[in-house]
Amino acid sequence: MTPSGSKRRVKVKDTSDLITGIVLLGFAIVLVFYLVPNYINEPPILQNPMMSPRWLPAIIGWLILLFSILLILQAFILEGKTEEDERAIEKGSTRRFVLMVLSLVIYVALFEAMGAVFCGILATLVLFVAHPVRTWWVYSLAFLFPIIVALLFVEVMNVPLPIMPLGF
Amino acid sequence: MENFSEVVGIFFSLDNFLAIAVGVVIGVVVGSIPGLTATMAVALALPFTFSMQPVAAILLLVGIYKGGMYGGSITAILIRTPGSPASACTLLDGYPMAQQGHAKKALKAALYSSVIADFISNIALIFFAAYLAKIALNFGAPEFFWLICFSLTIIISLASGSMIKGLMAALLGILLSMVGLDEVFGSQRLTFGNYNLMDSISFIPLLIGLFAIPEIIEFYRKKAIPHIKAKANGAGLAFSELKRCMKSIVRGSLIGVIIGAIPGTGATAAAFISYSDARRRSPNRANFGKGEVEGVAAAEAGNNGVAGATLIPLLSLGIPGDVITAIILGAFMVHGLTPGPLMFQENLSLIYALFLGIMCSSVILLVVGNVAIKYFSLIADIPKSILFPIVLMFCVYGAYAVNNATFDVGLMLAFGVLGYIFNRTAIPAAPFLIGFILGPMFEDNLRRSLLIGSNDLSIFVRGPITWVFIVLTVGSIGLAIYRFAASRRGTRNSTDESHQT
Repeated sequence: MTPSGSKRRVKVKDTSDLITGIVLLGFAIVLVFYLVPNYINEPPILQNPMMSPRWLPAIIGWLILLFSILLILQAFILEGKTEEDERAIEKGSTRRFVLMVLSLVIYVALFEAMGAVFCGILATLVLFVAHPVRTWWVYSLAFLFPIIVALLFVEVMNVPLPIMPLGF
Repeated sequence: MENFSEVVGIFFSLDNFLAIAVGVVIGVVVGSIPGLTATMAVALALPFTFSMQPVAAILLLVGIYKGGMYGGSITAILIRTPGSPASACTLLDGYPMAQQGHAKKALKAALYSSVIADFISNIALIFFAAYLAKIALNFGAPEFFWLICFSLTIIISLASGSMIKGLMAALLGILLSMVGLDEVFGSQRLTFGNYNLMDSISFIPLLIGLFAIPEIIEFYRKKAIPHIKAKANGAGLAFSELKRCMKSIVRGSLIGVIIGAIPGTGATAAAFISYSDARRRSPNRANFGKGEVEGVAAAEAGNNGVAGATLIPLLSLGIPGDVITAIILGAFMVHGLTPGPLMFQENLSLIYALFLGIMCSSVILLVVGNVAIKYFSLIADIPKSILFPIVLMFCVYGAYAVNNATFDVGLMLAFGVLGYIFNRTAIPAAPFLIGFILGPMFEDNLRRSLLIGSNDLSIFVRGPITWVFIVLTVGSIGLAIYRFAASRRGTRNSTDESHQT
């Protein structure tokens, strides 16, 4: 490649903004051309189009489309600045992250079937193992806290929770 | 007189005092733990308020807010880690003081200036909220439409980082608020046939997901760092030193009040402006940044001066000034109350009972703060590896409790992932939440204006109040563009300088 050729090549100055812009552009296109016409019902007679349930979502879709294009352009014009440094993190082990995801799955998948206390104990234990917590007595907190917090919700604050597994 | 006895009847109950005290304690504890924010604590406490009386519920959240504002300064002073962004300014002088062995003095200065600023801010709230509400009684749908436009644009224009991202976040928030049944025609909007979405997206799972879950995800995604222990040592603050700082505290408090009353500006800006003002005027200006007690006092006064004042637009206009007041607005709604000018007519006793409670919170903050200084090291020494699993449990239980549905737990986790993506891509979450809250009000006032004006668009420019808000809206957009251009110029200049060197 010649030096003049390399000068002409457009350089991305903020990759994160570029990706964000492209994702939001895709979302805006889906919203405006697919979701709004198909998933928002419009009454047959309307005196003013601005009263339509579709009007504001469509306007927002178009505005997101416009700003996502601007964000893409910005990614080519502006440097990432210090924001980029703040966003950068030193990644930990995959095991730690996977165990955290597992604890979230436990809560979503088993909460109603197994009850708040059992799920709380299991998920907390998984998270203690994920870090890992090395002090043995801390693991007793994984049993204690779910019981205390669940009872606090149900008995003190009168907020219902499924305490025990289904059938008990 | 009749009103007064009603106010006394509503306020003077053990529940209310307990709610403020518990709120302030939770706020100070959570604020003083790096990684846990007052916003997170207010969001997590919201489900607990379902069965409480409205006054006690709001006072609990306000107590957490105020306690959190002060609590954030403790870690800033002791371990150079601000518990909240607003406390970042406090560490400029607080941490050098701690290094010099004057940690206790810095903490006391932060506490006393916080309490004084909080008190001044509360007085401003009591005086101005009612006055502003009286003016707002003249507002109709078009005026409210423009007021919401102004609030949205100023929140975006003053949001840190990219203006485009702030706008996008607000637009996404408004879009999300439209999911559910349309209020006028009853048609489904973006529900995809899911009955859980017909009654719109629940506020609490969104809130908890957006502000608590991303911290947890980030903690388990990044490399574990060693836990830093803190110690509050040295002598306390002498009365003469407090007297010396008094001018800066009062000025900082007033700066906080003015900034807090404008939606979107926030405590961080107030703290830094108050700090620079104190540095400019102080005879000890050379010592600023090296461990000057006046610097700590000024920063904390600015920071806490905002607390009461942010409630002015919320109570008088129904417009949340920041994320925490947006959550408090949610609490009002949960209890069937709509903040705004009409509330001053329909629930005046409740508002004055709230004012009494808010005034009490300053005194309770003073007591709790003094204890927190003494026993702080016990709280700060709890590692995040133990805290975050418990926080996650609170998140899940709280999200489930809203509708007794696992769907809300899933929704909360989905918003948690979205919040994490926002953090990673520097999209601000505050405009998203404010957009979600103001979205329905925006659409409702737009449609009502059209109905009142029989579809004539001139209703939107019908009087001087609408014009005032139009000018303010255009001005805030102009300010955003100016800030964007100025930051671009700054970047270009620094790039040029680095090329030259």
